[in-house]
Amino acid sequence: MKLNGSHTINAPREKVFAMLQDPEVLAKATPGVEGMAKERDDYYKASLSLGIGPVKGTFAGSVEITEKNAPESMTLAVEGQGGPGGVKALGRLKLEDQGDKTVIHWEGEPQISGRIAAVGTRLVGGVAKKLAGQFFDSISEQAQSYES
Amino acid sequence: MGEKFFGKPIKRKEDPRFITGAGNYVDDITLQRQSYVAMVRSPHAHATIKSINVDKAKAHPGVIDVILGQEMLDAGIGSIPVGWLLDGLKTPPHYAITVDKARHQGEIVAAVIAEDSYTAEDAADLVEVVYDVHSAVANPAKALEGGAPQVHSDAPGNVTFNWQIGDKAATDAAFASAAKTVKLDLRNNRLIPNAIEPRASLADYNRGTQEYTLYTTSQNPHVHRLIIAAFVMGIPENKLRVISPDVGGGFGSKIFQYPEEIIVLYASKKHKRPVKWNAKRSESFLTDSHGRDHVTTAELAVDANANITGLRVKTAANMGAYLTLFAPAVPTYLYGTLLAGTYRTPNIHCEVTGVFTHTTPVDAYRGAGRPEATYLLERIVSYMAQELKMDPAEFRKKNFIGPDQFPYQTPVALAYDSGNYVPALEKALAMANYTKLRADQAEGRKNGRYIGIGFSTYLEACGLAPSAVVGSLGAQAGQWESSLVRVAPTGKVEVFTGSHSHGQGHETAFAQIVADRLGVTMEDVEIVHGDTAKMPYGWGTYGSRSGPVGTSAIVKAVEKVVNKGQKIAAHLLEAREEDLEFLEGKYQVKGSPDKAVSFGDIALQAHLAHNYPADLEPGLEASAFYDPANFVYPFGTHIAVVEVFPDTGKVEILRYIAVDDCGPQINPLIVQGQVHGGIAQGAAQALFENALYDDNAQLLSSSFMEYALPRADSLPSFEIDHTITPSPHNPLGVKGIGEAGCIASTAAVANAVNDALEPFGIRHLDMPLSPPRIWKAIQDAVPAQAAD
Repeated sequence: MKLNGSHTINAPREKVFAMLQDPEVLAKATPGVEGMAKERDDYYKASLSLGIGPVKGTFAGSVEITEKNAPESMTLAVEGQGGPGGVKALGRLKLEDQGDKTVIHWEGEPQISGRIAAVGTRLVGGVAKKLAGQFFDSISEQAQSYES
Repeated sequence: MGEKFFGKPIKRKEDPRFITGAGNYVDDITLQRQSYVAMVRSPHAHATIKSINVDKAKAHPGVIDVILGQEMLDAGIGSIPVGWLLDGLKTPPHYAITVDKARHQGEIVAAVIAEDSYTAEDAADLVEVVYDVHSAVANPAKALEGGAPQVHSDAPGNVTFNWQIGDKAATDAAFASAAKTVKLDLRNNRLIPNAIEPRASLADYNRGTQEYTLYTTSQNPHVHRLIIAAFVMGIPENKLRVISPDVGGGFGSKIFQYPEEIIVLYASKKHKRPVKWNAKRSESFLTDSHGRDHVTTAELAVDANANITGLRVKTAANMGAYLTLFAPAVPTYLYGTLLAGTYRTPNIHCEVTGVFTHTTPVDAYRGAGRPEATYLLERIVSYMAQELKMDPAEFRKKNFIGPDQFPYQTPVALAYDSGNYVPALEKALAMANYTKLRADQAEGRKNGRYIGIGFSTYLEACGLAPSAVVGSLGAQAGQWESSLVRVAPTGKVEVFTGSHSHGQGHETAFAQIVADRLGVTMEDVEIVHGDTAKMPYGWGTYGSRSGPVGTSAIVKAVEKVVNKGQKIAAHLLEAREEDLEFLEGKYQVKGSPDKAVSFGDIALQAHLAHNYPADLEPGLEASAFYDPANFVYPFGTHIAVVEVFPDTGKVEILRYIAVDDCGPQINPLIVQGQVHGGIAQGAAQALFENALYDDNAQLLSSSFMEYALPRADSLPSFEIDHTITPSPHNPLGVKGIGEAGCIASTAAVANAVNDALEPFGIRHLDMPLSPPRIWKAIQDAVPAQAAD
């Protein structure tokens, strides 16, 4: 399953790129986050609670920025594990400069396992797009008051 | 023998309790101090277990224990064995709880015992397992490719066996000299059994007597006892009692010994209290043995006169991650031996590779090998007829084994003892009004209606079988059946049978046979099954064996009772034994019906033994063990009429005609029920059901949201009739009917859909023939049509 989308953020590209490295911003933007901490440079641990269709539960996971080309693009390796199953994904973000605005193009190919794979597969695409929308809306909102 | 009940459509005795919720299933049984177990299952199809932390789970209030694989291994609990061996078969160990690796999604990694089921489930989520996840393979053909992920280190290339049957050189020669040959690549889609009652097991260890009682959803309680006691747990067989009370369907999936059964027994002894496990439906999807899943290349050869001269088959059979009880037999001796079908094919060669994959184990599922063989054969026969521009019914009739050719030795081991295929075909054609049907089809095509007519002139071999024969083929079991007929002083009769009813209606059908033969009412006869402490040793119910094999043991035991009664009657009537006859429940002097004594009086005298022959033992009971002389060979013709809607790809079954021959019918209502259910299940494989794995061997169709079972509106009202060709070798002449519908119908429906698609130039589509698959094929084909 391949997922992708584009979102426009009302902030210049350098600022958006910086925000995407800030665990506080990320914790606030990511739906369902219960905790997020920077373990080392470009490596974050998080726990979040999510529901996909009938399957709900808490996931413990990590996000690692594996490639960084500021301020244009980055690649994230996401891994999560919990009672309802597991998720593993490589996500690519491309930031397109549009003056005071930035268009983020994202794509990813999640591999899911366990109960969520069993029950939620058909729903994952929709849920992921909805969560991505919430995430980037929050980044856009936070950008109004964000100072690095 | 009066036949008051045999052959009559008597409503099932057991149904009132089932439909009023008064059945007694494993999960209805609750014992004092009962605890519950929940399983921690691997979410990954292939992963090394690096560590397991049970601290949080153990600290959870209400948790009694968390059991890991190593603990059971250290306690001497063994691997769950395979009950059918083939030459060179690789049998890697299959432990109840895996010790090193998970080899399929859903494999048990730990078991959590708690005071109640909710606590056990909650605590199972607290067990922390660290996995090293590896790539996995689900498709059997891909698993055979070089570089494929390996399931077991001791089964190189993922091959568990290579097996073949038939004469390769002769078959190759037949193809070399053929007037025409056709070739089909076929995928026999994987199915999930979906019995209405999920599996459940409750173990109760008695520390006073050191006896275990296992209540479990089994089709064969004695087989469970033998395997679990002697081969897995190492406990004396007489210290394990297995009870399978009412069981809500099995379709084969409840033949096998499952990890959960071992775990509850182990935990019950360890904690000296009963332990229950009840599958959630999502666990049933993931862990009940699956069925089918073949990747096959089949070729058929004919001579210039359209006589079939050869069949060549190469199959990769998906066995899943472990071999379960009968698994090696299903794609071999229950598959390759069926490839002659109803045809005179002189040369057949079949090669099968059994393949390990990172999927749920695959074993017998309604029909077990025979539906796979029948789909292949009936599909390629129709395909050849189309290629020859011959009517598929005519082509079949031309190639049938003639009624004068029995006994008929096939080139694939089986020797058919009886059969008469044309009358069943003719009857079905008449019921279908075939000539008009073809005219309607032609007319419809002119008007954009795509009707298809599909045949399946199937044969099946069931009622396994002479024990010496199955033994020579690798079975680690006998295949006879037992019964004990016990008459009480009041003349009431208990019949203990080694067969097991889990939907088949034995309590009714068997009582009909006994009531007739003893001249009592059906209410006077109680059929007792499903408890190793009550019944004589029996092999259970699968492979449509209870009709032909189970009832034969009952008939033999009843005969012994009648004969003993005759000795008592002769004494009471002061007559010679040979001057008496037993008619409608009375022993009477031939020709003098007034000199008679009733069966009830005999029963009483047998127990009082007051006025009794001096040389005769008291009591009135007898047991019998019946080992069949051959398989039985039911056959018939099924015709499916479908319409394909090209705009959506949807298929509607317009009519379904089935003429089956299972010999004399003990109870036509029960026969019809079996045929109806079988057709539904077989048609569902053709149109709906598919166990689908992704590239990581994650089961995607693992709930009723994604796994399409047929619904009431998916099927028409079936048109059913029969012919009667008795089996020559069992006392009632009966042949099995439990699987026939499922064996025949898949091919009939698939042939009908492919027939409907002929105007689009579509020659063959694989199952399930779902709307997206058909729609896409039509879309791909339409430009080619337009260009014509």
